[in-house]
Amino acid sequence: MADVTLSDIRKSYGALKTIHGVNLDIRDGEFVVLVGPSGCGKSTLLRMIAGLETITDGTLKIGDRRVNDLDPKDRDIAMVFQSYALYPHMTVATNMGFSLEHRGANKAEINERVNWAAGILGLTNLLDRYPRQLSGGQRQRVAMGRAIVRNPQVFLFDEPLSNLDAKLRVVMRGEIKALHRRLKTTTIYVTHDQVEAMTMADRIVVLNGGRVEQIGAPLDLYDRPANQFVAGFIGSPSMNFLTGTITEQGFQTSDVVLPLPASKGTVMGQAIVYGIRPEHFRLNDHPGRASVSAEIVLIEPMGSETQVTMRLGDTQVIGVFRERISGTTGDIINISLDIDAIHLFSGDGAIRLN
Amino acid sequence: MAVAQENARAEGRSFSPFWTIARRDSLAGFLFIAPQLVGIIAFVLIPLGLVFWYSLHEWNVLANTFTYTGGQNYRMLIEDESLLEVLGATAIFSAGLVILNMSLALLLAVLLNQKLAGIAIFRTLFFSPVVVSLVAWTIVWGFLLQKNGGINGMLLMLGIEGPNWLREETTAMISVIVVQVFKNVGLNMILFLAALQGVPKELYEAARIDGAPAFKQFRRITLPLISPTILLTSIITIVGSLQVFAQIAVLTQGGPGLSTTVLVYYLYQQAFQFHFFGYGSTLSILLFAIVAILTFAQWQMRKRIVFYES
Amino acid sequence: MKAELSPRTRTALYGLMCVLLIPFVFPTWWMVTSSIKPISDIFAFPPQLIPQSYDWTTYSKVFELQPFVRQYWNSAYIAALVTVGTMVVSSMAGYAFARIRFPYANTIFMIVLLGLLIPSEVTIVPLFQMFLKAGMVNTHWPLILVPIFGAPSVFATFVMRQFFVTLPAELEEAARVDGLGRFKIFAKIALPLAKPALASVAIFTFLHSWNLFLEPIVFLSSAEMFTLPQALTQYTDAYGGPMWNIQLAAATLTALPVLIVFVIAQKQFVEGLAHTGLKG
Repeated sequence: MADVTLSDIRKSYGALKTIHGVNLDIRDGEFVVLVGPSGCGKSTLLRMIAGLETITDGTLKIGDRRVNDLDPKDRDIAMVFQSYALYPHMTVATNMGFSLEHRGANKAEINERVNWAAGILGLTNLLDRYPRQLSGGQRQRVAMGRAIVRNPQVFLFDEPLSNLDAKLRVVMRGEIKALHRRLKTTTIYVTHDQVEAMTMADRIVVLNGGRVEQIGAPLDLYDRPANQFVAGFIGSPSMNFLTGTITEQGFQTSDVVLPLPASKGTVMGQAIVYGIRPEHFRLNDHPGRASVSAEIVLIEPMGSETQVTMRLGDTQVIGVFRERISGTTGDIINISLDIDAIHLFSGDGAIRLN
Repeated sequence: MAVAQENARAEGRSFSPFWTIARRDSLAGFLFIAPQLVGIIAFVLIPLGLVFWYSLHEWNVLANTFTYTGGQNYRMLIEDESLLEVLGATAIFSAGLVILNMSLALLLAVLLNQKLAGIAIFRTLFFSPVVVSLVAWTIVWGFLLQKNGGINGMLLMLGIEGPNWLREETTAMISVIVVQVFKNVGLNMILFLAALQGVPKELYEAARIDGAPAFKQFRRITLPLISPTILLTSIITIVGSLQVFAQIAVLTQGGPGLSTTVLVYYLYQQAFQFHFFGYGSTLSILLFAIVAILTFAQWQMRKRIVFYES
Repeated sequence: MKAELSPRTRTALYGLMCVLLIPFVFPTWWMVTSSIKPISDIFAFPPQLIPQSYDWTTYSKVFELQPFVRQYWNSAYIAALVTVGTMVVSSMAGYAFARIRFPYANTIFMIVLLGLLIPSEVTIVPLFQMFLKAGMVNTHWPLILVPIFGAPSVFATFVMRQFFVTLPAELEEAARVDGLGRFKIFAKIALPLAKPALASVAIFTFLHSWNLFLEPIVFLSSAEMFTLPQALTQYTDAYGGPMWNIQLAAATLTALPVLIVFVIAQKQFVEGLAHTGLKG
């Protein structure tokens, strides 16, 4: 097990630059999730760590070794692929023992390690099967088994759950997390699914356009996103954003005035982006809170909660309420905003102001 | 466990900076293609250059002279009256072969695509001549086509007196075409069958709901969808038809007269029977030009007649 | 796909197919049966579809008139060598063109594809001269070397490349992470998965070599060196006329083994070749 250090890592294909200087210190035993929209460079970054893509510039260290020019096999890493990449012509046991075979381990040792991994992952009865005879979840487990038999310094996961159905994804999420708790191997995990990132990570790295937008613990990112991109990316449904200016009454967007939290970074008349998460709207039964009226566009009852699309001034926003709401399109409801949960960003969305 | 880890560390040696991952991969690439590339250079490119070089020379094997004559052989090519006949025979042979082969292959493929019990047995039987040794197949057809052979025997039982198939100009040409078609049509048949089975069933169902009759379904749905396969097989078949040699050598030796002397056979005669290596090389260049032009033309046609490409 | 066929159409289709089968099946039957008829019966009228008497001495004459065992061996070992050699050369080249990034890969691939455009008949004159200079005329080297490395193997390389292109990249990456270098990835991952493509390459390469005719008659001059297709045409009488019954017996001996293998493994044959053609 080891630290992984990325210093000013860059990637370009000819003139096309895809990764623009990433710095990241991953501590020994940490579970770090790289998340971002497709094309943000998260998979490229992971593959550079694996040694499957060359590093154009910068330094990559695993432990104390600079590994930029090492083959994947010499980096002491293991990887779980999106398609699992199980060898179709080998049994589960051979698949899992394959890497050890090529590292000069003897038969007894391979057997011992494979049985150990199979025991952990509940694959003991499947060792003689071929990949085509396994279900999606079982293949996923074999892919993980193949990674853990070797006891590498770092695990790399490349969107490992995206080929599973929603239910199985939740199950496997738990299993991967449990595995990490048990083995405590440094893990770097790539996903485009912010729910996976939130539930699994010790720390999340949000990437966008080949740059790091923010690094932090899941709830820190949720509660204090550093910019509008992170605010919009983390959380579902997404944070609502309204554009407008700061006035004496508060935040003015078209003909609506919303309450402003205290903040040092703003000045009167400044154009800003005002962000509020759907669950931070309340039906106006709390006297003493500032209240605004909104026009209902769509009501979607979920059972446990109600999701309402509303028009606030010129902007459509989504609110999520614990209450069941009756009403139809065009009705006006009175809502209040949780003033402690409001996020202010500069007009271009790049900087957090409060 | 410990050993595996130790090994991993031990292998974590650094390579000299020159041998980056990309460079090592390039080296592997070159090593992998080396046998093929060297072979192509030695057995295709150099001979192609040589054949052009030879074509510019008068080569007398008996006197052992090799004289540069410039375009002399090419002038001979234009003035060679036999060549005109040879090219005519080649054109008739190739055209007849391709048309007959493609239509029969399509017919057989459509038949084999029907839901009938035991259809696999028919498929096997129609395909079987493909695996029969070419010369064996040709010999037995030569035997059948004799004046007193099996075919005329059967015809006589029906009261028809058959011709001496291989000794009359028209029937000789028909014979060599037909023998070749039955030998190899199974290949195209299988390719067409695979293409037919690749047409999505929903299209036929939609057409039936739209009320299109069967022949219209075939013309408007089946044919356009399998047109890439038709084009591909027609290229392979035409180029293949220009290489037909054994059948001619065994059945007719190019006769009667020059009526079945196709270009390859003429080339063989000039070079290896009469030892006109210079002129033979010129004929090789002509054959190469024809193949190249036909292939190129058909790839161009692809844009116009192929309705659909995956 | 289509509506259920009526019994009448069904019968009509079976009838049509049976008639169409005659020229495909009858020659083989006629070859085998005529080869065991006495010479006096082979041109008998009316034709004997089933032999009425047998003469097995024809088969012994096949071996007396020519070194037929030797010729059989020549054809068999040449075809075997060419098949194995082509599989090695074409799978390596096809793999590299599909999966390894190296400089000028596309240009080299186009050059190699030229082989598809140049029938071996075009280059037969210079090839003959080259092998003559190398002292390899009337040896089997031209029949072995040219198909394995030259134009005939290009189609095989193309087929292999088309197969390897479809191999998921992640499989190779997994192998790299598991510690395999290029050669081991090729040998342990790519090649075992390429069995269907290799099988079709093997089948058409074997048939091509087994049927080769122009090259043997150009390169070989002594009966001891002949291959089967060439040998079959050598059973002639003093006037150059074919000795039909002996030719047919030799032809039967040539054709039957391959036919029997085909009947046993017909699925692999048909699907293998269909697979090739679709992609080629």
